[in-house]
Amino acid sequence: MEQRKKPIPVILDGDPGHDDAIAWVLAKSSPLLDIRACTSVCGNQTIEKTTYNALRICTLIGNHAPFGVGRPRPLVAEPIVVPTVHGKSGLDGPVLPEPDFEPCGLDAPALMEKVIEESIDPVTIVPTGPLTNVAALLLTRPDLKKKIARISLMGGGIAYGNWTPAAEFNILVDPEAAKIVYESGIPIFMAGLDVTEKALVFPEDFERIRAVGNNVARVVAEWLEFFYGFHRNLGYPGAPVHDAVAVAALIKPELLTFKDLYVQVETKGDYCKGCTVGDWYSVLGKAPNVSCIMDIDRQGFVDLLVEAVKTYD
Amino acid sequence: MTDTKRIPLWLDTDPGVDDAMAMALLFALPQYDVKGVSAVAGNVELEKTFQNARDLVAFFGRKDVPVYQGAARPLFREPRTAYFVHGENGLGNVQLPASDAPVEKLPAWDALYEAAKAADGELILVAVGPLTNIALAFSKHGSLHKLLKRIVIMGGSASWGNASPAAEANILCDAEAASTVFQSGVPIVMCGLDMTLKTVMTPAELDRMGQLNPTAKFLRDAAQHGLAYSQAHGIDGMALHDPTAVLYPLYPELFSGEEAGVAVETKGTITYGKTVTDLYSDKQFPFKNALVLLDVDREKLVETVMDLLRRY
Repeated sequence: MEQRKKPIPVILDGDPGHDDAIAWVLAKSSPLLDIRACTSVCGNQTIEKTTYNALRICTLIGNHAPFGVGRPRPLVAEPIVVPTVHGKSGLDGPVLPEPDFEPCGLDAPALMEKVIEESIDPVTIVPTGPLTNVAALLLTRPDLKKKIARISLMGGGIAYGNWTPAAEFNILVDPEAAKIVYESGIPIFMAGLDVTEKALVFPEDFERIRAVGNNVARVVAEWLEFFYGFHRNLGYPGAPVHDAVAVAALIKPELLTFKDLYVQVETKGDYCKGCTVGDWYSVLGKAPNVSCIMDIDRQGFVDLLVEAVKTYD
Repeated sequence: MTDTKRIPLWLDTDPGVDDAMAMALLFALPQYDVKGVSAVAGNVELEKTFQNARDLVAFFGRKDVPVYQGAARPLFREPRTAYFVHGENGLGNVQLPASDAPVEKLPAWDALYEAAKAADGELILVAVGPLTNIALAFSKHGSLHKLLKRIVIMGGSASWGNASPAAEANILCDAEAASTVFQSGVPIVMCGLDMTLKTVMTPAELDRMGQLNPTAKFLRDAAQHGLAYSQAHGIDGMALHDPTAVLYPLYPELFSGEEAGVAVETKGTITYGKTVTDLYSDKQFPFKNALVLLDVDREKLVETVMDLLRRY
């Protein structure tokens, strides 16, 4: 008999957000992942809104793992919210169920700490928003690093940014937190713009997802439509489902092309604050600290999303 | 060719092995009316780049072209050299006869300004070293930006760097100067690493070049020191960084690029000298100040270089 792989214990940490939402739908669908906790962070919207959205998503997908609420602002920087991308609620589009459970009462980093301490196996963290919670955890409990198997994050870009020409949104929002995470020594999968802007779901794919027929499929299709609305105006041929790549890296890495690089985070500068600087030509001769994801099998990625929504009732 | 049709051009340079080849090509092109050459500290110290520039101009048979001395150090930072590529003397340790041309006394920034005035808005400035001299010229002469037709720069990168993870050597050497130049309002053509690292001439091609004539042999010999360094760093050959900037105005069809907003980072801790472009970003700068070259027909470029050097 084929040996069944033990699921990876994960903590989902995000600022939903349409692409966070789809990332969580994908994570919950996979038997390869065991969701031990979810946490909210301020990013796309205020912490109140991202928390409410996260609880509604968890309710939709039947994920009742303990939930921890993040702090209302980045470690050092001022918050930036982006109603243009995700709407006023931070997750505009389809009507979602009201939350059917409450946060557990622990702050996000404290919940992460508890889950990691209690886990027999090392835990993987999947941050799809600014890295505020993860940095707070690493600053307060550096001894737990050895029990963190990996951080599979959506953030940054080796070749370019999106919120400024040099910086991607999640890193720009809390560059100091990102610096702490990138310098932590914990293995990192980085789903940066290099790959996530290629993780495009086209309008015809929305229909394929909708045709799966269940409620989650319908909601995902409508999220994609809303999210595409913003990106269509920027000239994208589809919706870049950035955050789902950080989950795909754990459950279907064969869809992705990785390049190991030494990556540092710029926290200062007139133009480069929040820039993830990869040492492409090994100028510094340092050992790589990040597995940067640079390319994706787009069709395989869409197929993965379709299969994911099929697992719901 | 009549004099009126020739393109008035100024070369600012820090020879430099690939600078030497750029100069050889420049003087092989009668379409160019070279008004002057200015030297700046960069690949090696000013004393050497100035002497090399003078000796190269004489060696290529153009003692009539005046060579001016420029800045000995970047505007604010300590100088940084690249002996590992260019050798102790800046020319791959190959010795040229000393030029006996009279030594020009006018500083580079004043000479450039005078030439720009005289050229009536037609002067093309090709700058293939750190941009210190050019920034000083803009600083001192407030109307210079109205007098230059275009600046073709070898420097920068739209993605990543090779002198630091974020920056290319010429910009890293003097980012404040580069920022001044990119903000000058003069249309810029940026020959950055995105394109120039696709121009690598193989050792076999360099050897073939060396057999053309004594001028080409000198260029081939001068390249050997840097070649060893490149090979140790995974590049089997010599990138024609500076020559592309000299060739671009007459051979634009060899290159392709995109108009972009480019800003130079001068404040970052690890990104000092990064040329930030908005080519691939959702967020655009409110200006388009440069044509960023991204690709090149390498075969045709090498062929063009060979053809031009055959003229010596």
